[in-house]
Amino acid sequence: MLRPLRSATLLLATMSIACAQVASAHHSTGMFDQAKTIKLVGTVKQFQWTNPHSWIQVDVTNEAGVKEEWSIEGNSPNQLIRLGWRPGTLKAGDTVTLLVKPMRDGAKGGMFVEITLADGTVLKQYDR
Amino acid sequence: MTTRQQRKTVFRTAALMLACWLPLSAWGAQATGLPDWSGVWQRRGMGEAKASATGGGPAKVGERSLPPYNAEWQKKFEANAALAKEDRFPDPLSFCGIPVGYPRVLNLPDSYEFVVRPERVWILTENGPNLMRIYTDGRGHPPADLLWPTYTGDSVGHWEGDTLVFDTISIKNDGDTIFDRNGVVFSDRIQVLTRIRLTAPDTLTADVTVTDPGALTEPYKIVRQFKRIEAGARVYDYACRENNRNPIDASGKTLTLGTDGRVIDLAK
Repeated sequence: MLRPLRSATLLLATMSIACAQVASAHHSTGMFDQAKTIKLVGTVKQFQWTNPHSWIQVDVTNEAGVKEEWSIEGNSPNQLIRLGWRPGTLKAGDTVTLLVKPMRDGAKGGMFVEITLADGTVLKQYDR
Repeated sequence: MTTRQQRKTVFRTAALMLACWLPLSAWGAQATGLPDWSGVWQRRGMGEAKASATGGGPAKVGERSLPPYNAEWQKKFEANAALAKEDRFPDPLSFCGIPVGYPRVLNLPDSYEFVVRPERVWILTENGPNLMRIYTDGRGHPPADLLWPTYTGDSVGHWEGDTLVFDTISIKNDGDTIFDRNGVVFSDRIQVLTRIRLTAPDTLTADVTVTDPGALTEPYKIVRQFKRIEAGARVYDYACRENNRNPIDASGKTLTLGTDGRVIDLAK
């Protein structure tokens, strides 16, 4: 499900992560709202372990009960692997919770900040 | 041959082999008197520096001031900066496949390797395609009729103790490359003097001085640092065209594509 973060502490924590890493390897991050963090809970449809960016395609059921596919962009494999990610970290059907900097224009896309896997493992996109 | 003579021959051969092997075994960067820059390195600090003030003075690591532009290039920069503010200042890096040029090569997000040989130094970047070749065999720059602007230019250098000093000329610039996504560009008259040395066992510091009589009123100085990451670290493939879902449209805007290749942006 999709909901804005309500915990001020969590929001501050995620903002501090985001503020440290607004630059991206390959393109401008201007399309992402760096001041906003949303939480997406959904099911992985596809994990693209690719350059110049990895992508998590995730199905999220919105507040109206309709399933929507989100395209969540992450860093390249070389950067993620140094943070503990593996090509097999995500599989189709996995339930995940994502903290995401959403696209400013309301499109179903964003840049992930952090992911929590079904077993509770937390992985980040940056180590700072 | 008697047994005694045979023993003598075997002993002499072994001694000769040992004499030949010892210097070879000691061969390496240390034996050449050159510093040990082996391993894998990562830039300290993230992304494009945030320009805070005008001036060409030395900058802190990961920060810097704006270049001291002349009036014409100040206008050009301001126009670029206005586009950047609207997120429409295209970065050639985003096109995939074009080198970022020098000295921006020293500001990439992925890892680096510095290969040091007496006659040459290579700077290999994981985020490709970027490669710097620096000749340290005593040659100078090529004559004018063999020079034309290229992304990495022509670099020749020498060692001053443990410091690599090199001069880079003939670098492509405005129109082909940018220095920073916030709008900083230089002219084709750019010349870069770089000094790289170990300032701590696992820290390489690059002091970069940009002179550009076409665009700058005085030299512009930048400091970059690289930290050696864990021993045994691997460097990975980076093929930008593998799955580029962020093309740039004709207006300079970065788009986002779905898995089917259709644009998912809602804003035009």
